Amino acid sequence: MAILNSEFPPSKDGRFSDNRLLSCRVRVLSSYEALIFIFLLSQLPLSLLKTAQGHPMLVELKNGETYNGHLVNCDTWMNIHLREVICTSKDGDRFWRMPECYIRGNTIKYLRVPDEVGGIKILANLGVTRHGYTCLVTHSMGLLGVIDKVQEETKSRGDRKPPGVGGRGRGRGGRDEGAAGRQAKGIGRGMEDAGAKGRGKGGPGAKSGGKGGGRGRG
Amino acid sequence: MATGLGLESLVDQTISVITNDGRNIVVRHCVAYVANTGLETLYFADFLILFQGVLRGFDQATNLILDESHERVYSTKFAVDVKQDALEGVQQLVLGLYIIRGDNISVVGELDEDLDSNLDMSKLRAHPLKPVVH
Repeated sequence: MAILNSEFPPSKDGRFSDNRLLSCRVRVLSSYEALIFIFLLSQLPLSLLKTAQGHPMLVELKNGETYNGHLVNCDTWMNIHLREVICTSKDGDRFWRMPECYIRGNTIKYLRVPDEVGGIKILANLGVTRHGYTCLVTHSMGLLGVIDKVQEETKSRGDRKPPGVGGRGRGRGGRDEGAAGRQAKGIGRGMEDAGAKGRGKGGPGAKSGGKGGGRGRG
Repeated sequence: MATGLGLESLVDQTISVITNDGRNIVVRHCVAYVANTGLETLYFADFLILFQGVLRGFDQATNLILDESHERVYSTKFAVDVKQDALEGVQQLVLGLYIIRGDNISVVGELDEDLDSNLDMSKLRAHPLKPVVH
């Protein structure tokens, strides 16, 4: 998938600013890294929610009640833990303030999160290590994690211009021609499938591992 | 994606969503419906709220991320029924970034932005939808 040395989200229209199509295969080493990587790849709703930790948000339940508070934590069932909560009745005429609350995920109708949460910049840097490639994942809050053994294949690198994300240190291996040559090994496990199918840049056809969006390399 | 939902092709496009509670909340609606709701449809009912936005992501439970979403509140009344200037056909409110839980979603539709931008909002009227009955 195309995240190497690119900001995420890439740009307003969802394309990567350097317009390079990279497809990398990743053996993810831990579930935490998997979470990060999944976030990078496909902007899953639950990952976005995770990103919103510490931010204020509005939660409306199926019964019409709304809860305004700061997100402390959430899990994969969308159960959420809020602090400094104001609960509003369905009609909007009664209010309750509570220091914290825990909401079961399946009662939720929708969540409204601050716009800036969607704009948190995620930067993935590709670097060469002895083992192959390593992806350092950072965002505005600092280092998020490391994904090891990133491998890539690129599409017609030669005619692409360098990325527009100037000033960002790009990993040494980012455009290394050797990168694609290495991709045959160390793949086929873990999150690889999730990795390859990412944001449907290649259209609906991009389905199985190694057939990620838009790569056209022979 | 493995879900086979075909939502992938809608990512980063403007979509509209109808939710299970046809009313109060997140109903984003397809233009076709609205367009077909001709001026004949005269009712003094409530209003219809429709949501539109850019699909930023989804998962296998049809949870959606909607960016730059906004709601449109459709009046059901004719302008002649009330003071002419008191009632716009459609009010548009900006909502921002939403995560909609898949449980509540009935329909996700692609929005034709050209068609949409040609709509005369002041003349549109629409009925509220009934909630989904389980």
